[in-house]
Amino acid sequence: MASLVPGIACIGVIGKQNNPLHISLFPPGERPSLEFSFMLSSSLDIFEQRLPHKMADQDFGLLQAIDERLAMYGYLTNTGVKFVVIVDMEGRPATVNDSKNPAAVGLRDSDVKPVFRALQTAYVNLLRNPFYDPDEHMPSVAKAQNRVGSTQITSQKFIQEVNRIGELWRPGITQL
Amino acid sequence: PTMSLPDPSTTQNEGYVSATCFDLLLIELVPMAYRIAADLAAKEEVWLASKRRTNLGVGGIGGTAPGLDEEELRETVFFRLDSIGYRVGLALAERFSRERPRFTDPLDVIKFLCKDLWVVVFRKQIDNLKTNHRGVYVLTDNNFKPLKNMSLEKAGAGRSRETMMQQAQPFLYFPAGVIRGVLSALGIQASVVAETSELPGATFQIRTVGSKP
Repeated sequence: MASLVPGIACIGVIGKQNNPLHISLFPPGERPSLEFSFMLSSSLDIFEQRLPHKMADQDFGLLQAIDERLAMYGYLTNTGVKFVVIVDMEGRPATVNDSKNPAAVGLRDSDVKPVFRALQTAYVNLLRNPFYDPDEHMPSVAKAQNRVGSTQITSQKFIQEVNRIGELWRPGITQL
Repeated sequence: PTMSLPDPSTTQNEGYVSATCFDLLLIELVPMAYRIAADLAAKEEVWLASKRRTNLGVGGIGGTAPGLDEEELRETVFFRLDSIGYRVGLALAERFSRERPRFTDPLDVIKFLCKDLWVVVFRKQIDNLKTNHRGVYVLTDNNFKPLKNMSLEKAGAGRSRETMMQQAQPFLYFPAGVIRGVLSALGIQASVVAETSELPGATFQIRTVGSKP
């Protein structure tokens, strides 16, 4: 029977006004989206709670261990954008690429750092797209313009990059 | 001067960009904005004229003079250039605040603007920062790059120094927008007024929302 190794279950990108910009679930069909949206919302409370105490670094590290399998990690950029990664300790069947000694100790913060770095790079590259206007994706602006509908990111390139990061990650990987 | 820089062929994402190209691009922004404004005004005039012919009773736009007057034109150009600068500022802030630890207060953000961001965009730092500690900041650049190569005709011959200064001012709209964008991305709502009283110096007055004058 194949052993299961940690894998990313969900990546959430949340905007400055705590609005969801993008949510990716891995594997796409098998994760209940409502539950994960709820978990992402609860992560916002943790950001707010820890914000006054958090000094130098942007990386909030482990936000919360939800249960035995799921753990939430968070990262806040200087511009108020939050990246939340939910890791499932038994997320994927082991492949030949995974190490022979499964991490019995659990994940370290440094394991998730490359994910945040790659996500931030993807977001910066999204901003370099002249067709993406960050203001358009803020609920306050959309309300002022009486627009209806979602303010989530629609850029194919960004979504593909997020999916690539989520699928490729495994503990111990240093470059995504 | 290029000896200390890494060779672009060996580093992954580094490369050289021509500073002159960048300067020329910024210079061209202003006439482009004027051209677009005049173009749009002409089109609007044509559209209005056709409406008048078909007698649809369009309300007066303010006189029947075709096109825009000087003041309106300047405002349109300001709005266009400021908006472009704003969007650029948003992206710049995201990209260059990346490695920095979190900003602790607005003054920290302004210092980032004066030191790190100014170097990135204009290859030098702001020369002087004044604040009244109540939300108003005045940034002075004594040798502002976009104005560095400008020279004005001598005063006299029917043109006063003020009109000369007015000609230089549109070139400050884009940088003012960049400042506004960077501040907004880092959480500070502010209005920015850019002025030049003596070429090639420029001052940027930043007034944050909720500040006392």
